[in-house]
Amino acid sequence: MPFQNEIKDNEIIVFADTSLYSKDSVFKCLYWYGDNYHANVSFADSNTYRISVKPISTIQLSHQELENLLLKLERDLVDFNLRDIVAKETQNVRDLLIAKAFSNGEFDELPPGDVSDPVGFNVNQLTND
Amino acid sequence: MIDAKPDRKSRKFREIDQFDLSEKSQYYLLPFRFHRITDEKEIIVNEVGDYLLLSKGTFERIVRRQLDKEKDAELYGDLIANFFISEEVIPPLIDVLATRYRTKKLFLNYFTGLHIFVISLRCEHTCHYCQVSRVTQNKDLYDMSIANIDKGIEIMFKSPNPHVTMEFQGGEALLAFNNIKYAVEKAERIAKEVGKGLTKVICTNLALINEAILEYCKEHEILISTSLDGPKYVHDKNRHKPHASSYELAIKGIELSRQVLGHDRVSALMTTTKLSLDYPVEIVDEYFNLGFQGIFLRNISPYGFALRTDKSKYETEKFLTFYKKALDRILEYNFSGHYFTEDLAKIFLTKILTPFNVGFVDLQSPAGLINGVIVFNYDGGVYATDESRMLAEQNDYTFKLGTLDDSYNDLFFGKKAQEIAQLWANEGLTGCSECAFQQYCGADPVHNHATQGDMYGYRPSSDFCQKNMEIIRYLIELMESDERIKKIFESWAKTATH
Repeated sequence: MPFQNEIKDNEIIVFADTSLYSKDSVFKCLYWYGDNYHANVSFADSNTYRISVKPISTIQLSHQELENLLLKLERDLVDFNLRDIVAKETQNVRDLLIAKAFSNGEFDELPPGDVSDPVGFNVNQLTND
Repeated sequence: MIDAKPDRKSRKFREIDQFDLSEKSQYYLLPFRFHRITDEKEIIVNEVGDYLLLSKGTFERIVRRQLDKEKDAELYGDLIANFFISEEVIPPLIDVLATRYRTKKLFLNYFTGLHIFVISLRCEHTCHYCQVSRVTQNKDLYDMSIANIDKGIEIMFKSPNPHVTMEFQGGEALLAFNNIKYAVEKAERIAKEVGKGLTKVICTNLALINEAILEYCKEHEILISTSLDGPKYVHDKNRHKPHASSYELAIKGIELSRQVLGHDRVSALMTTTKLSLDYPVEIVDEYFNLGFQGIFLRNISPYGFALRTDKSKYETEKFLTFYKKALDRILEYNFSGHYFTEDLAKIFLTKILTPFNVGFVDLQSPAGLINGVIVFNYDGGVYATDESRMLAEQNDYTFKLGTLDDSYNDLFFGKKAQEIAQLWANEGLTGCSECAFQQYCGADPVHNHATQGDMYGYRPSSDFCQKNMEIIRYLIELMESDERIKKIFESWAKTATH
């Protein structure tokens, strides 16, 4: 039987498939809950994260507020997972970009395509001049 | 017969068959970050601060390759043109993007510009929020010695920056005016010799200003920066001066300074206190009526408030309410045809709307401390920022880089500077590294240390993060919801880049 997200004893419990959600994204998401909530991650089984969030003792939440918190956590997990996909997929381009930015033109390349001369300037001659 | 397709290759105009419209999801992501602006709108910001405002759910569609090149042609085009996606693994114009990135970090080219000389710690005011100044006549103990002034000037001219600023602060700087004169004249001589630009600023409450001082300032092109917290009932409560009204002295001083130096040679800064929070409109009106072209709504200094408590969070929320009411008032003035800016917004808007950055110490990454500013304290101590020397007055020497007797290298590149440098870039800080507003914001290790007890900081409870995130979000929401506001904001940003 699949795991169901739930609110139990003042605690939010959310499950996430490890093949869909990266560990990094789960922790980056929970980082933002650390100020007001006890946050915990464990395995429900070998393919599922069990993520729990419980308000610290000074914070009392109504059932409706807990419902909203559950929604927020579910949404945040998706957001952080998407952010993580972008960060990982683009890491090399980002590194290249910053290396180029601080290389003072050392690694700049000519833009692709042929240099054209639609208005009659002799570009090669201008370059040589 | 004329050939309709001349055999000519141009980068400008390619044949239709050069464009591939058949592929639907063959694109690569480029680095960008995401944030929800409202329940219905989300924002993506690329590595050089360009943003696109999208309807809810679009970010997910982009990442999951669900865009249709034809049906979503406009969005697709915007994403390509603004470097959010690319049809090649490495975008062909990556060098253009790299140049833009370099432009955003241009402030790093010059290194330290602002050199603050705490010329005297003595003051004739007893402001309740000031934890630094001393009401005393003891010049030997609380004025910067001539020897230390000399060493400070020597260090200042070692900066690689072609233009340095020498700012005299206090206490009340004018209590040591003779020392200021000595420092100005010596610095001017050296600046001429070494061919560096030199700006001079005196920060003063103006209580001691007179025509003779102002004539000297005029002769030596010294700028005046003063404090004005708002109308009399706010200013005088914040800035207590025994047996006199600080407000009246400040107003008189501003008028006299403008007469002698010129209107734009005098600026004023406000500090928001708990009392100020009740008077956003009145404070803005005060600045407007005095003929200033803007106001800098500076948030409450953390140094007088409890550390990492709900109270400080509450104070930040109250500040944000204050800020928004004050900004509304400022926009009202702009709607009625006046040019009047809010300077914190102006800094953010320049970062958001232009290819440039702003060298503002608290909102840079790498941080402005050491890179942009250095403080020479009255006693010869050298500190990373103005706030750092305030911490030192509470016996916290975390950001003391050394003394004026140390070498330039030891001060600016020494162990302490290296320690701070580990966490002065928001690109590498937890919570900031994936934040959509990273390019608009900055890192402030001193603030983190002062409010949270460590330089790294903890973003979920950081008032710095809470304040900046909300103000940036609010500015974007405002300009995207009202074309008139967008035009006003664009005019502020344009001015800031000139």
